Amino acid sequence: MTPDNYALIILFAPVAAFTILGVCHPIRNRGALAGWIVSAATFATLVAAVSLLRFQWENPTHVFRHEFSWLVVNGKAMATVGWHIDGISAPMLVVVSMVALCVQIYSQGYLAHEPPSHRGRYFAWHALFVFAMQSLVMAPNLLQLFMGWELVGLCSYLLIGYYWRKGEAGKASVKAFWVTKFADSFLLLGLIVLVATTGSFDWNIPTGKALGDAGGAFALAGILLFVGAMGKAAQMPLHVWLPDAMAGPTPVSALLHAATMVAAGVYIVVRGMPVFAASTEVMHFICYVGAITAFIGGCLALLQDDIKKMLAFSTCSQLGYMMAALGANAVDAGYFHLTTHAFFKALLFLTAGSLIHAVHSNNMSDMGGLRKKMPLTFILYGIGAFALMGFPMLSGFFSKDLVLAALQKDGQTIPLILCLGGVLITATYMTKSFLSVFFGEAKSDAHESGGHMMIPMLALGVLSVAAGFGVEKFSAMAGAENPESWSQLLGHFVGLPAIGVGLMVVGMAIAVMRHRGARIGLPVAFNNWVLSRPVDRFYETAWRSGLLVFARMIAWVDRYIIDALMNLVAHVILNEADRSRKIQTGRIRDYVWYIAMGALVLAMIGIFGEQWAQLFGMGGGQ
Amino acid sequence: MTLDLTHWMLLSALMFSVGLMGLLTRKNAVALLLSVEVMANAVNLNLVAIGQHRGDETGQVMALFGIALTVAEVVVGLAIIILIHRLNKTIELDEISELSG
Repeated sequence: MTPDNYALIILFAPVAAFTILGVCHPIRNRGALAGWIVSAATFATLVAAVSLLRFQWENPTHVFRHEFSWLVVNGKAMATVGWHIDGISAPMLVVVSMVALCVQIYSQGYLAHEPPSHRGRYFAWHALFVFAMQSLVMAPNLLQLFMGWELVGLCSYLLIGYYWRKGEAGKASVKAFWVTKFADSFLLLGLIVLVATTGSFDWNIPTGKALGDAGGAFALAGILLFVGAMGKAAQMPLHVWLPDAMAGPTPVSALLHAATMVAAGVYIVVRGMPVFAASTEVMHFICYVGAITAFIGGCLALLQDDIKKMLAFSTCSQLGYMMAALGANAVDAGYFHLTTHAFFKALLFLTAGSLIHAVHSNNMSDMGGLRKKMPLTFILYGIGAFALMGFPMLSGFFSKDLVLAALQKDGQTIPLILCLGGVLITATYMTKSFLSVFFGEAKSDAHESGGHMMIPMLALGVLSVAAGFGVEKFSAMAGAENPESWSQLLGHFVGLPAIGVGLMVVGMAIAVMRHRGARIGLPVAFNNWVLSRPVDRFYETAWRSGLLVFARMIAWVDRYIIDALMNLVAHVILNEADRSRKIQTGRIRDYVWYIAMGALVLAMIGIFGEQWAQLFGMGGGQ
Repeated sequence: MTLDLTHWMLLSALMFSVGLMGLLTRKNAVALLLSVEVMANAVNLNLVAIGQHRGDETGQVMALFGIALTVAEVVVGLAIIILIHRLNKTIELDEISELSG
C-alpha cells in the first residue's frame, strides 16, 4: 500500500458510506445498521490515517503531496485538488477519525430510543462530515480547504438541527449557520485577496525580503482569513453560535463543536501561518483575540448551569489558548493543545452525554451525588476535567504549559496574564461542575450507561492521559526546532508551569469553598450583565435593523419592479392573444380565404419581391 | 393553330380559379369536395403539359400518382362528410363552426 492508497481510503471510505446511505433508503431506515456501515468506513479511515501517522512519526518533516489539476483554463490549472500529508495533517487525520469513530459508536447507545430512520439520517451526515473534515485537513491549498470548510459548516447546521421538531434546535442551527457564514464571507474575501496578490491558492507565500510591496495585501488577506477562522473557532465576539449549538445531540457536540470542526478554525491558522506571519500586527491581533477569548470564555463557563453550555464556553476558552499560542509564533504549542483538547473535551462531552442520558436533564442543579451510581462515568469525567484544568502528568498539563511558555517567550505579557487568569477560572468551573454533579446528595435514581457508550469513553479516557507523552514527536512534526520531551518539560517545572499549577490549585480551592457555602465569585453586577447576553443582543439588533430591512428592500424591488415587468409582458401577450383569436371563426370559407390570400401574397413577393426591395432601398448586396 | 404549352397552362389556371371560386362560394360540403377535385386536376393537367413540353414522362407519372392520391383524398373527405351529416343532420358548412376560437 502506498501513501496514495491510504489517502484515497481516507477520502473515499466515508463518501462510499454516505452514498450508500443516501441512495439506499431501506438501509438508511434500519438505523443501527446504517450506523455500523458508517463506523466501518470511519474505521477504515482510521487505519489508513494511523498508517500515515506511523510513517510521519519516524520522518517528522517529510511531506507527501499529490495534486490533480482543476479548473484548467488555457492549459493552466487555476487550482488543484489532492492531498498534502505532512507533520501537521497526519496527526489531525488520526484525531478526526479516532474521535469520529468513538462518537459514532457512542451514538448507537445514546440515540437508541430514536426512530431508526432518524438515526439513519444522522449517521449519513456523520459520514459526510468525516469526508468533509478529512478533505479539509488534507487540502494541498486554501481553495480545497475552503470547500471542506463549507461542507463541515453544512454538516454542523444539519446535525445541530437534528431535533428540529423542538423549535429551539432549528433556531440554533440557523443561528450557527448565519454566524459562521458571516465569518466565512470574510474568509472568501481573504482568499480572493490572496489569489489576486500571489496568483495561487497556495499558503506557501514568499517571506522576508521577497515579500516586497505586497506586505499590505498579505496583512489584509491575513486579517480577513482570521475573521473566518474566528467564526468557526467561536472566538470573541463571534462565539455566540457555539453555546446555542448545544441544542444538537450530545455526541454531535463532542465531535463537531468540541473536538474537530471548531478546531478547523485553529487548523486554518496553523496552515496559513506564512500568510499571517507576514505581518506582526496580524499576529498580535490573533494573540489578543485568543487570550481575551480564553479569559472571558472561562468567566462565561463559570456562570452556566447547563453542563453542555458550560463545556461549550470552555471550548471557546480553550480554542482561545490555541489562537493565543499561534499568535505568539508557536505553531507547535497551539497545535499540540488542539490535539490534546480534542481528546479530553470529546471525553468530557461524552461523559456529559452519559449523565444527561441517565438524569434526563442538562442542568447540573438536577444532578448530584452520582459518584456511587455512575462510578465509571465519575472516573472518566474526572480524568477529562483534570486534563482540562492542566493537572500535572495529564495531557492538558503539557499542552497548556507549552502555550504559556510560548506566550512568555514571545513577550506577550497581557495575553500571558489573561491566559493565567483563564487557568484559574478553568479550574474553578470544572471543579464546581465536578462537585455539583458527583458529590452532595443524590437527586435522582440514575444508572450507568451501556457498553456502546462506555467503550468509546474509555478509549478517549486512555488517550486523554496518554496523548501528553507524545509531546516531543508532535512538536517535531509541527515544525518546532528543539522539541522537548515530556520529562524535559517536567524538568523545568519551577517557573511558569508551577505558577500554572498553583493557580489551578487556587481555582479548585475557590470551587470547593463555594461548594461549602462560601460566597466567592465574580461581582453580581458583572454576572447579570453577562447573563443578559449583550453580544447576542447586539447581533440581533444588527440583524433586525440592518439585514432584515435590506432584505425587505430587495424584496420590494423584486416584487414591484422586476416581477411587475414580467407581469406586464405576460398581460400584454395574454390580451393580444385573446383579441387575435377571433380570426378563428370555425367557418371553412374563412380559412380558404386566408390560405388563398396568403398564397397570393407569397406569389406576389416571389414575382415582384426583387423590384420592391430595390424600390425601398433594401436591394441587398447588389 | 396548334396547342402549345401556354394554352395548356392557361386552361390549367382557369380550372384552378374555377375550383377556388367554388371553394369560396359554395356552402354544400360535397360541392366543396368537387371544387377541390377540379383544383387538383388543374395541377395534374399542368404536370402532363409540362412533361410533354420537356419531352420526358416524369410529368405523366406524377399525374398518375396525383390521381391516385386524389381518389384517396375524396374517400376520406366523403367519409368525413358522412360523419358530419350524422352528427349535425346537415352538410351546410355555414351552420357548422366547431373550430371557432
